[in-house]
Amino acid sequence: MNTLSNSVSSTKRFDRRFLLFMTMGVLLGVSSLWAMSVGSSRIPMTTIVDAMIEFDGSREHLVIWTVRLPRLLASLLVGASLAVAGAIMQAVTNNPLASPGLLGVNAGAALAVVLAIVFFGFSSSSVYIWCAFGGAMLTAILVYALGTAGPGGATPLKLALAGAVLSTFLASLTTAILIFDRDTLDTVRLWTIGSLAGRQMASVMAVVPYVFVGLVGALLAGRQIMTLSFGADVARSLGQNQTLWRLLAAGIVVLLAGSAVSLAGPIGFVGLVVPHIGRMVVGVDYRRIIPFCLVAGPLLVTTADAVLRYAFSSRDIPVGAAMALLGAPFFIYLARYRIGSGR
Amino acid sequence: MIRVMFFLAAASVALLLSALVQGDYPVSFADVTKFFTRDPSLGVEVKMIVGDLRLPRALTAFAVGAALAVAGAITQSVLRNPLAEPGLLGINSGAAFAAMVAIVSLRDVRPGLLPILAFTGAMIMALAIHILALRRGNSSMRIILIGIGLSSLAGAGANLISAFGDVDRVQRAMVWLAGSVHGSDWADVAGILVWAVPAMGLAWLARRQLDAIVFSDAIVRSLGMPIDRVRALLMLLCALLSAAAVSVAGLVGFVGLIAPHLARRLVGRGHAELLPVAGLIGGLLVMAADLIGRVVIIPAELPAGIVTALVGAPVFGWMMWRRRYV
Repeated sequence: MNTLSNSVSSTKRFDRRFLLFMTMGVLLGVSSLWAMSVGSSRIPMTTIVDAMIEFDGSREHLVIWTVRLPRLLASLLVGASLAVAGAIMQAVTNNPLASPGLLGVNAGAALAVVLAIVFFGFSSSSVYIWCAFGGAMLTAILVYALGTAGPGGATPLKLALAGAVLSTFLASLTTAILIFDRDTLDTVRLWTIGSLAGRQMASVMAVVPYVFVGLVGALLAGRQIMTLSFGADVARSLGQNQTLWRLLAAGIVVLLAGSAVSLAGPIGFVGLVVPHIGRMVVGVDYRRIIPFCLVAGPLLVTTADAVLRYAFSSRDIPVGAAMALLGAPFFIYLARYRIGSGR
Repeated sequence: MIRVMFFLAAASVALLLSALVQGDYPVSFADVTKFFTRDPSLGVEVKMIVGDLRLPRALTAFAVGAALAVAGAITQSVLRNPLAEPGLLGINSGAAFAAMVAIVSLRDVRPGLLPILAFTGAMIMALAIHILALRRGNSSMRIILIGIGLSSLAGAGANLISAFGDVDRVQRAMVWLAGSVHGSDWADVAGILVWAVPAMGLAWLARRQLDAIVFSDAIVRSLGMPIDRVRALLMLLCALLSAAAVSVAGLVGFVGLIAPHLARRLVGRGHAELLPVAGLIGGLLVMAADLIGRVVIIPAELPAGIVTALVGAPVFGWMMWRRRYV
């Protein structure tokens, strides 16, 4: 990769990486502030800071605390969870096509939400959260059980195939329902693209513990995840307990992706693309890719959400689509110029 | 190999016959034999149902499945990725985007125009991926990543339309995209065969190249083959096969992913055997799925693409489970 072939001394490389992380951190801060200020009514930055420090109950402060802040927090959580979960999935399955959705999390959540609407007529996003979380967990357990069957344990190929098969199955069930049920389609179609509109503080707070545990786990297990990504043979020769670490990694992914899908709906782009960007920017070491994802994921989601609200303040463009529209061209550019021939 | 092929072919014929007999309107086996022997005593109605509705429909389903399966086998080998499927080349999202725009945004699009639009959308996407991936030669990794990027771009476009379009039209687009061979006629059969047969023939001619490309670029090069040109040509074949399938049937997922895996379990990794067996399995899968979708909730129908996944997934899961000790 680029960083390895360069003849820069190691301290200089460290400086550059430090600078990169600092820049991204600052960018994340700026875009978060900006995301709070744009929307159907513009709120100046100073008012935002005031509201954070000293809440005075005015209408603007109320908007900040009940609408803008939950939405910002949700986008930060979703971005971080999906990007980190994607990195782990790609490491564990050793497959660049793997995404958090490969454990069946998105398909399971979507089916659970659709079933909840069809049978119980729920229509508030705070109820969706628990349906989605439950559906995601159940599916992931099923995928893991199917992928683990047999003497090899959860080999990457078996796990990936089990996930792909079960996801397709559940997604088809969902489509079959939506084809015949117009009203449910109308209710759920925004959710299925991934939207952050109207999230409440209580919903955001409900998933914070899971995301926190997942992210801390991912950061601590960076070395083991790196070892897993070398493949079964190397990992065994290094004396790693692969059954244990694959299970732990899958557990972390499920916590993170399950929380993300329940907050924002099935968003595909972040989990697939941000780890690749990380690999192209900071190299192949997952001990660096995971922290990179932790910052870059929220940066992408928050900025995409804010830009779209700035440009089309009258209409709420779902963040799932917005992100792909903004992020994909950049990603294609990186893929074209950072991936050498012969791979 | 011969035994497997014979068994699959026999199963296809049996399934084709039952597809002609089963359905809303009962037709007896005697009538079907009369149809094939051109017996003049056969009623006009039965002749119409068998000859103009059920036979072209079953054949279209078979051709779609075979094309997708062969395309899937090629994609998995060229990209060296067991999760690859033709949809990865941007075919599906390109076709889906074109169809979404046509059905939801344009007023009263003629049904005959949809396949052409979908085919064009799919081919444009495939070409765009290829051109973007081309920089001092191409690479499997770059094709995969750029495929992901462009697919999500087109997917986002389709999503936006589906989120804000008129709900009835969105639902119609969903039915079309769910992969249905409902209402296929002889023009559809001809439409897919014209592309699929030459492409499959070329793929079979390239079986040695496929056998080599599975390993690494270096091996292909050391055998004296121009790797970039081989890869570009094979990807073009894939694009043609799956665009032809998408244009007559919409998005039939899953077959392109699973049929090659099933075929590999039956006959191993050599492409001389893998390609034809995968094609037969894919054809069987979609034809069976269409038959099931047609008869299970008469008078309504389930699109073949959905049934393929609903039936195929448990079968594949069961096979994984049964072979867990092998």
